[in-house]
Formats: sequence, C-alpha cells, structure tokens
Amino acid sequence: MTTRGAVIKRVFIFIALLSLLAMPRLISGYQLRLLTEATIFSLYAVSFNMLLGYAGLLSFGHAMFFGTGAFATAIALEYIAGLPLLLAVAIATLFTALVGLLVGMLLLRVKGTPFALLTLAFNALFFSIGIKWSSVTGGDDGLIVNLPDIDLGVYNLNMFHEPTVYYLSLIILGSTIGCCWFFTRTAMGQSVLLIRENEERMRFLGYSTHISRLILFVLSGALAGLAGSFYAIMNAFVSLDAISLEMTTKVLLMTFMGGIGHFIGPVFGAVFYTYFQNFLSEMTDSWPLIMGLLFIAMVLMAPGGIAGLAMSAREWFRKRFTSGNSLKEEL
Amino acid sequence: MSETLVFFLHGLAYAGLLFLVSSGLTLVFGMMNVLNFAHAAFYMLGAYVAFSVMQHSGSFWPAIVVSPMILFTLGVFVEKFLLRRVHARGHVYELLLTFGLAYVIQESVKFLWGTAPQAMTVNGFLADTITLFGATYPIYRLFIFGVSVAVGSLMALVLYKTRIGIIVRAAVDDSEMVEALGINVPFLFMAVYATGAALSAFAGVIAGPLLSVFPGMAESILIDAFVVVVVGGMGSLGGAVLASFLIGELQSFGVLWFPKFSMVLIYLMMALVLILKPEGLFGEKQS
Repeated sequence: MTTRGAVIKRVFIFIALLSLLAMPRLISGYQLRLLTEATIFSLYAVSFNMLLGYAGLLSFGHAMFFGTGAFATAIALEYIAGLPLLLAVAIATLFTALVGLLVGMLLLRVKGTPFALLTLAFNALFFSIGIKWSSVTGGDDGLIVNLPDIDLGVYNLNMFHEPTVYYLSLIILGSTIGCCWFFTRTAMGQSVLLIRENEERMRFLGYSTHISRLILFVLSGALAGLAGSFYAIMNAFVSLDAISLEMTTKVLLMTFMGGIGHFIGPVFGAVFYTYFQNFLSEMTDSWPLIMGLLFIAMVLMAPGGIAGLAMSAREWFRKRFTSGNSLKEEL
Repeated sequence: MSETLVFFLHGLAYAGLLFLVSSGLTLVFGMMNVLNFAHAAFYMLGAYVAFSVMQHSGSFWPAIVVSPMILFTLGVFVEKFLLRRVHARGHVYELLLTFGLAYVIQESVKFLWGTAPQAMTVNGFLADTITLFGATYPIYRLFIFGVSVAVGSLMALVLYKTRIGIIVRAAVDDSEMVEALGINVPFLFMAVYATGAALSAFAGVIAGPLLSVFPGMAESILIDAFVVVVVGGMGSLGGAVLASFLIGELQSFGVLWFPKFSMVLIYLMMALVLILKPEGLFGEKQS
C-alpha cells in the first residue's frame, strides 16, 4: 500500500516537473512571467518558513534580505565591469549571508515577541538606508539592472528573453528548494526542529542552540537574498519595493496561507498568492483587503494553511475509502 | 538660543505623541503579554474617524470623545471574537492575528476614505501661537505635551494606586489565582485590550492636526513606537516615558544637526541599547 503510494507520488512529481519544463511551449509572455515570479517567491517563502516553521522564529523583516539580494545584484553589475551574471548572483547571495550574520548576531540575543518586533524595526532601518543612500540605491527612482548575456561558450543566453529567465530561475531556484528540503532532513536541520520543541534539553545534550539558530538565520537570509537577486533579474529593475514592509507582509501571507507545518506548504502559498493576487487585482483595487481577510480567516480556522487543508482532505478520503473497505469485509 | 528652544519643544511635542501611542502598546503588552501589531492601525483609524466627526460637527472636541469610544467598542469585539480564540495557540498566532488585523484595517481605511492626505484643522485657542522667551510657538504642540503628561499620570495613578490596578497587575502574574479569587479575568483582559485601542485612537486624534491624516501614518508611528518599547523595556510604563523623551528629542535635534541621517539615528540608538542591555533600559531580564 505504501509502496503504491510512493510510486504514485513519484509519477506525480515527474509529471509536474515535465509540465514545468514544457511551460514555455504552452504559455507565453505574461503568463510565463507570472510563473517565474511564483518560482522566485516560492524560494523566498521556503526560506522564510525555515525560520517560522522550523525554528519557530517569527520574523517581520524578511524583506531586508530579499531587498539586500536584489540591490546587491544590481549594484555589483553596475560597478564591476564585465561581471558575469551568475557570479553577480553568487556575490549578492554571499553578501546577504554576511548581512544576515551581522543582523542575526544582534537580533538573536532576544527571543519571541521582542524578536518579532526588532525584525520589523530592522526592516524599517534597511528601508530608510535604501531611501537615504540614494547615490548608490537610486532612492525612490530605483535602479536599472544591466543584464549581461550568459556566455555558454557556444551559445549566448539573452536575459531579456522570457523563457531564458524562466528556465534559469526554475533550475537554480528549484534545485535550491530541493537542497533546503534535504537540509531539513539532515541532523543539523532536525536539531533546529528539536531546539524549537525543547531548547533546554538540547542544551543539556551539548548542542550550542545559539549557534544552530544563527546558522539557520544566516542560511535563511542568504536564500531570501538569492530569491531577491532573481527578482532583480526578472524585472531588470530594482526599486525600494523589494526591501519594503509590503514585501515582508507578502512573504508572511504566502508562507502562512500555504502552510507552515509542511515543507512544501510555502511553495503552494507562493503559487496561490501570485495567481490569486493577479486574478483579484484585475477585478478590484482593494485586493489586499480580500487577501488580508482571507489571512485572518486562516489564522482563526485553518492554521495548517493550504497544505494542512490538503492533508486533512487526504485523511478524510483515505478514512472514507478504508472504512468503506472494512465495511465490505464485515459484510 | 531660541532655535535650540524651539527644537527642544518640537522634540517634547513628538515625545508626547510617542508616549500616547506607546503607552497603549505598553499597557496591552504589560498586562496581556500580547504585542498588538494592530495598535498603529487603531491609531490611524481613530484619526480618520475623528476626521469624519470633525467634518460633521465642525469642532475638535466631539471628535476627541467619540473616536476613542468607537475604537473602544472595536477593541472589545476584536478581543472577544478574534484574539481570545487564538490565545491558547501561543504568541506566534497572536502576533499573526494582530498583524493581519493591522493589514485589513489599513486597507479598509484606504477603501473607505481614499489615499489622499486629509488636513485636520483645529480652531479656537488651540490654533493660536504663544511667545516664549522671544520665540513664537504654536500652542497645539504644547497642548500635545500637556495631554500626554495628563494621560501618563492618570495611567500610573490607576495602575499603581487603585484596586483595579492591583487586580490587573496581579492577573498578569498569575491569572489562575486571580480567577480563583472570583475575578472575571477574560473580562478584565477584554477591558484592557479595549482601553489600549481607545488610547491609540486618542493618540490618533491628537496626532491628526499635527501630522495630517493619511494612510501611511500608521507605518511611520508603528516603527517609532516599537523603538520606544524596545529602548524603554517591554511593558514598562516608566521606560516608555524615558524612551519617548529620548527618541522625541533625538528625532527633533537629529533633523536640526544631521538632516541626512535623522531617520537612521533612532535605529542606531536602538541597536546600541540592544547590544548593551537587550531587555531595554527599564525592562526585566528574560528568563
């Protein structure tokens, strides 16, 4: 029974991957852009959930890393002549990790509610640096990202070609999400989970809970930076919106609505949010109001998010199915 | 000399406003252990309600009474039907709920009143100026400071000198024991939360004529109020007083002396406090 379930799961994943790869043939232009955006936000939300879902750390400042990654990419490409694109992405990600280390060393001194509050204040700090340091960040005008072609030796990839950006995001971000999943399965990833459940006991067992949490924080920040870097590439432009409180709100809503209890939840959330927002904003300007009401309803009634609802639906079907079977056997 | 005095008074007025906002935040956090993200949204909603009341009545005084009353009622409903339901699931859900609420209120305000800034003009003696040591100064800013002193004193009096205050403070430490003594603790928490909402609406009404009424007003004050709470120590009324004063003056003189960095200064101060004393100036150590 379980093996059949596993096979079905694998077939399902295979078909999903295949259809993702075929997408540029099936849809075009605007729709493809939307899908690229959903991919980028998936990584952003997954990185956020490593804090919220795994470490139990609620941050209201994740956009500071997303924005740092986006701006670092644009700035690196502007100031370093002839910098290959992927190297710029790597620089931006590493730089964000460094920023995450500094911020984390300060913020992780407190826990719980004060942590939540401070992350918000730091996000505001980053945003005001973005405004004030306009000679570098472009201030309110933002920055245009000079996208160089990626030279593959035999073939040049033009980054203004939508399918190219889509495939690049899908491959790099998709595999990063895969690595995150792997990370949560490792001893290190599991230890973070246990620290959330019982920190004192983990300390008695000899774990340095502070260091574990800091590593996770840095990793989560770096991944958000990577997502931000691709956001800059996709738009060929960075504005303060990447580092704003709205960007923080967005990841919070996506992740929670997708479900913080499952690894794949934030991906569901990011896809749902991107398409639902797109759908709503065509109908009304006050789409955030509807999104906010939905969020509150889920906090109250469906704390497991979409993933949680899907799980309970599966349980329900399975129960119905198996109870039907046992009924037959009884008869 | 007179320039320094004027900026000092500006600082005092902003400190007064910051205290009015952060006192409600501190009250709710200190008493219920809930960081109310919706506080600044209540503040903004309070200001908009006051704006509408002023349009109808043509005077400032009805607004200052009606708006906190409406927000008090809203606070009762929020606590009873929303916050209470997630309380058992821990502080993450309380934060998420109040954050979501703030978002919804913010968007509702945009929907109902539009996004254009609205001017709230006071008339009568509040609109006048006064001459102090050779400098002309608007009375309204002094009024803000006076009101904040009055509110602060009243809060301290109620919390530390009356029976209600003793019960509320006891309920924070050991709500089960207080409940066993025959006190309706859920009702008490509801009243505290609603009072917090009314206080933030009051602050919003006071802020309206100074800063005008606009959808971004919540975000800007929220961050400053959070910095006050961090610097002063979470849940400490005395800390809120001191931190409001420090940040109000820092903001004011920052604009005078380092106009380019004025926004960053208060964050630097926050970072400094965080490094030296993570629990805040008057805060209790986390266990």
